[in-house]
Amino acid sequence: MRQETLRRIISFALLVILLVIFSATSDTFLTANNIMNLLRECSVVGTLAIGVTMCIITGGNDLSCGALLGLVSMVIANLYHYTAFSLELILAVGLLTALLGGLLNGICISVLKIPDFVATLSTGMIFTGLIYLFAIRNESGLITSETIRNETIASWGGSFGNGLYYSTVVFFVVAIIAQVYLKHTKSGTYLYAMGANRKSAEYSGISFVKTKITAFMISAGTAFIGALLLLGRNRAVETATGTGLEFQAISATVIGGCAFSGGRGDAIGTVIGVLFMQVLRNGILKYNFSTQTQSVISGVVIVVMLIFDAYYNEYMQKKTTKASAVAREKKAVN
Amino acid sequence: MAETLLEMKNIEKIFAHVHALDHVNFEICKGEVVSLLGENGAGKSTLIKILTGVYPKDGGEIFFEGKQVEIDNKHDAEKLGIAVIFQELSLIPTLSVTQNIMLGKEMSTLGMIHYSAEKKKIAELIQRYDFPLEADAIVETLSVAQRQMVEILKALSADAKLIIMDEPTASLSRKESEVLYKIINQLRDQGVSIIYISHRLEEVFNLADRIAILRDGKNVGLVDREEIVPGDVVKMMIGKRLSEATASRNLTLSDKEVVLEVKNLTHLGYYENVSFQVHAGEVLVLTGLVGSGRTEVLRSIFGADPYDSGQVIYRGEVLKKNRIKHTVSKGFGLIPEDRRTQGFAPLLSVTRNVAVTNYDALAHMGFVNRAKEDELGEAVVGMVDLRPANPNVAVGNLSGGNQQKVVLGKWLTRDLNVILIDEPTVGIDIGAKDEIYDFIEKMTMQGIAVLMVSSDIAEVLRVAHRIIVMKEGRVIREFHDGAVTQEQILLAQSGLKEQAKEEAQYE
Repeated sequence: MRQETLRRIISFALLVILLVIFSATSDTFLTANNIMNLLRECSVVGTLAIGVTMCIITGGNDLSCGALLGLVSMVIANLYHYTAFSLELILAVGLLTALLGGLLNGICISVLKIPDFVATLSTGMIFTGLIYLFAIRNESGLITSETIRNETIASWGGSFGNGLYYSTVVFFVVAIIAQVYLKHTKSGTYLYAMGANRKSAEYSGISFVKTKITAFMISAGTAFIGALLLLGRNRAVETATGTGLEFQAISATVIGGCAFSGGRGDAIGTVIGVLFMQVLRNGILKYNFSTQTQSVISGVVIVVMLIFDAYYNEYMQKKTTKASAVAREKKAVN
Repeated sequence: MAETLLEMKNIEKIFAHVHALDHVNFEICKGEVVSLLGENGAGKSTLIKILTGVYPKDGGEIFFEGKQVEIDNKHDAEKLGIAVIFQELSLIPTLSVTQNIMLGKEMSTLGMIHYSAEKKKIAELIQRYDFPLEADAIVETLSVAQRQMVEILKALSADAKLIIMDEPTASLSRKESEVLYKIINQLRDQGVSIIYISHRLEEVFNLADRIAILRDGKNVGLVDREEIVPGDVVKMMIGKRLSEATASRNLTLSDKEVVLEVKNLTHLGYYENVSFQVHAGEVLVLTGLVGSGRTEVLRSIFGADPYDSGQVIYRGEVLKKNRIKHTVSKGFGLIPEDRRTQGFAPLLSVTRNVAVTNYDALAHMGFVNRAKEDELGEAVVGMVDLRPANPNVAVGNLSGGNQQKVVLGKWLTRDLNVILIDEPTVGIDIGAKDEIYDFIEKMTMQGIAVLMVSSDIAEVLRVAHRIIVMKEGRVIREFHDGAVTQEQILLAQSGLKEQAKEEAQYE
């Protein structure tokens, strides 16, 4: 069986096992209210993770996405607080901020040839620094967190009335679009090609620069959408907003089957990974364990997944060489 | 004769004042298979690189379908319909056969791929050539042979008129090779021309319509297969440039103590039932074509790779499998095949590189004695006559020959009993080569057993006391007594028999 198929089965099975365990042992887990909440909680990280998936498929990574999400939120909050701009204009500036961030990442990595990891680590620090620059301050110059009193923004955090939150729907729509993009478009196919075998992709006329910039622009786009979802729910931005989200997002992609070496993974896998992490967090809280327990379990699961990937690949390789050796042996006997 | 497809006239290529190609002519007709032969460095790959636009030519003309053409880059070559089948690595492992073949030229509207239409097209293509392939299969699940078929389909779907195959059977089993031969014959019947590069004379004589032979960057012949026998081809490849002294060698069987013995060593998929002995002060050379399993045997002996069965015995003691530390403690050393990636750390100094194999002596409780380390660096520079004679220079900045001297130096400072050497002079200039041969000779004088892998026949004849020829993972021939010539070794490597009586002996 292919590694991808097996990994899909395993990650899905893990999710189901968690659901079964928590449903069986807790009265409050399997309630419509809790499930709807859970799906709402994971929508910000989930949306972000879809973007990161694109970067990882090209063989890279985006460590700056959390900070970019924070920066976009802060820019929007800042403009809302200090200017009289219309909401449309403010959102446009927010989107522009995100796309410039994505473009910066893409150019650093493709044109300037800085490895993804280092490039996005540095740009992430730049974004974090800018968050403080744009932070809202009181008369004495101290950073405060001001609630955004705008009905439109507040309404984004709402639900359809039956408990299904808008943000959940946005997350799933983003995931579906991403899945179609990855599997059915030229550009999506090129992400896989670039990640799995850059040289060969380039020989087929696919541009490294274009592909990388595309992936990081998408990641920036999902950071923008994530920022809107976050604003809708919290209606306030702190300097720490977004911090650490990138690691949750990357963890989810790995659980969902993305390989850091590139060329593997998809949006469905990432959704499974996101749900796994959220269900784990939610269920564990019901046992009055600390959230750190969730961290430990997620960490262990990721390590096990990575070990599995490494050994399974080696095992498959051995199997094919042995198979051809046996075929040769048979031929010699005949 | 059919219509000429490609004609290359008076092609010249000069690298740093060396004539890599000297007025070379080449031609191939439509629907013809021409085999390009020559020893390593004869100019085969340079000629192919000019044809595919990798290198610009320094002189000469290329005619394709009767028109003079300039091939400046690989797109020019593609446009003409010239395709190269790469060994491996040129497919995207996680994409399907269809996606790979259509990569970069997808059927799409507004970026959306029409996968079912693509799949249908590829399925038809597969059916037309009757390949054992599924259009939907993911490439990483395919065998090497099947991947090659995907490469061929990729070329055909781009309307290739000329397909270049470089050692295509090197990593194929016999059965898989036979499927490839069938495919080649089929392509020929459909009017596709094929340039087939191989060292395996057997298959060349099975497949080729004509054989083109290069030697030292010059044409030595373009002959019909029917008009020539393998022995003559070998003679043409070697030529008369070598004096009688180096064209053959008198081998002698050593009567000294056996230091290293390998018994029925088998690593499935790599080599099988390999047995031999190496005596003190003897140079035993393992030779054979790429893929014959020579390097793999060497690495297993050293403990760098595992093996399935058999024994490695050092002076009567059976060595542990896959334990480099253990073999090194017995006085083994390895000069690896690819010195750039396995032999040294390019950014570190000569001293540091040499010290790496000697930290057992240089360090005490984990702390390195830097003074001793520097002494060692100085000593090695003198020992191998390093140029420049500076132990602090980064090894990556040295010439190929001096880099190899550093790799040798790593082991020379130890109490060495057995040295395993893999292709020690690839990419090294002639002067430095001689120095390395001198070191090998010096080591034998000290009673060190030398086991060397080499595919350079002149080198084999220069240093070997005994020669073992491997083919497809098996030992097929040993030369141990009396005179041996280049021809004999080349014929043995390509699996052809010299005479009927030897056939009986070794079959």
